[in-house]
Amino acid sequence: MAVTPTWLGTVAHLHITARAFLPMRAMEAIELIAGEGILGDRYRIGTEEGFYSAKPEPGRQVTLFEEEALEAIRRDHGIELLPEEHRRNVTTRGVPLTHLVGRRFRLGDCLLEATRLSIPCRHIEEILDKPVFDPMINRSGLNCRILEGGTVRLGDPIRPA
Amino acid sequence: MRHIRTILRAAEPAGPGIRLLTLMDPDGWPLPRFRPGAHIDLHLPNGLVRAYSLCGDPAEADRWRVAVKREDAGRGGSAWLHDGLAVGGELSVSLPRCTFPLAAGARRHLFLAGGIGVTPFLSMAAALDRAGGDYLLHVLHRGAVPMPAQLAPLLARGQAVLHDTGAGRPDLAALLGPPETGVQAYACGPAGLLADFEAIWPVEQAQVEHFVPPPLAPAPDARPFTLVLARSGRSMDLPAGTPLLPALRALGAAVEASCEGGICGACRVRWLEGPPIHRDRVLKPAERATDCMACVAGCAGPRLVLDL
Repeated sequence: MAVTPTWLGTVAHLHITARAFLPMRAMEAIELIAGEGILGDRYRIGTEEGFYSAKPEPGRQVTLFEEEALEAIRRDHGIELLPEEHRRNVTTRGVPLTHLVGRRFRLGDCLLEATRLSIPCRHIEEILDKPVFDPMINRSGLNCRILEGGTVRLGDPIRPA
Repeated sequence: MRHIRTILRAAEPAGPGIRLLTLMDPDGWPLPRFRPGAHIDLHLPNGLVRAYSLCGDPAEADRWRVAVKREDAGRGGSAWLHDGLAVGGELSVSLPRCTFPLAAGARRHLFLAGGIGVTPFLSMAAALDRAGGDYLLHVLHRGAVPMPAQLAPLLARGQAVLHDTGAGRPDLAALLGPPETGVQAYACGPAGLLADFEAIWPVEQAQVEHFVPPPLAPAPDARPFTLVLARSGRSMDLPAGTPLLPALRALGAAVEASCEGGICGACRVRWLEGPPIHRDRVLKPAERATDCMACVAGCAGPRLVLDL
């Protein structure tokens, strides 16, 4: 008997930035490169210029964040955190990110493997001038390795592999 | 990567001994936004760190401008920024910080600049011009005018007034007028000017910017302490409220750090004497009896001895 997936999500926003601290840029589509990262993003392995690039991590090729967490932070703390401000690459809708650690799933046609939960960083408060560190604890997104690359577009489906 | 990498894209003279620098991302990527009145630290190759007010329009997303006055009696920071940094050269800078903000809700802003102290007011004027805010800039100078090209449009519109102090400083109270409700006054310049300004203007309607930012106020219960590394035998006296991580790095201790907010656990170190003030949210009470998180910990006693 075929197992019906319990969730099916979509890509709500896509963002990259060239270097640590610089504003994230909204994209219509991004190019994932298997084993490396996102074309033009600061954490692409081999051309890294991110805040944490001195601490290499093969499981940090692409990062995801739940759009629902932005709504929860607004609801619980009255803080407007925008999709370009959480500094993850993919803002998802309808995806239980925290349940995916160690699992594989499809982002559009790409295949990802979730390596660990993201941890918020104090320097995001410096960048944004907003007290978001505490509100982001335990809902700060997901780090992933890219097993199969390709183009990811706004509105693409996200589903279990 | 602790700093923002910028390239000097343009440099031009801007008044007596002043070089106006335009810094951009290597690929022209937008830079972090800044608030009017903000400053950045420039990290010079010889290890000097120098703070300069951003004097461009905050709406220009891809460039930061700072004006550097050459101080020949200084320690070489401004001299290097004049002579050592060529267009096309690279400069590491900090995120912008604003310790000199425009007062929200004021109906009129009076700016008092001493010489090169005019720089933060140029970014404020640009923002107020865009928002339709009411302001007047008084520039006190001796001889040649600082930033003449930048001041020219303000002078032409009557929103800036020059006061050559060669014949003596004008009466500040007369310049500013009475401190009516809703009028906020700001001063940036040499210490003597700031002191005179603070003597005549009510503190709740005043903002001052020192050329050298004052140190952050420590927490009320913080005490000075000596940081000791038991294995290397090195130590350092720290003023109250000093964060541990930079001190540990200065002492040559290889301590990992990641979130720097006390939750990720990367900078956990064993302590031998203290006790530490624990401000992390990762260690259990039993773990705190032996370990602390260096990124947020303080010290309750006179000595903090770490097993490093």
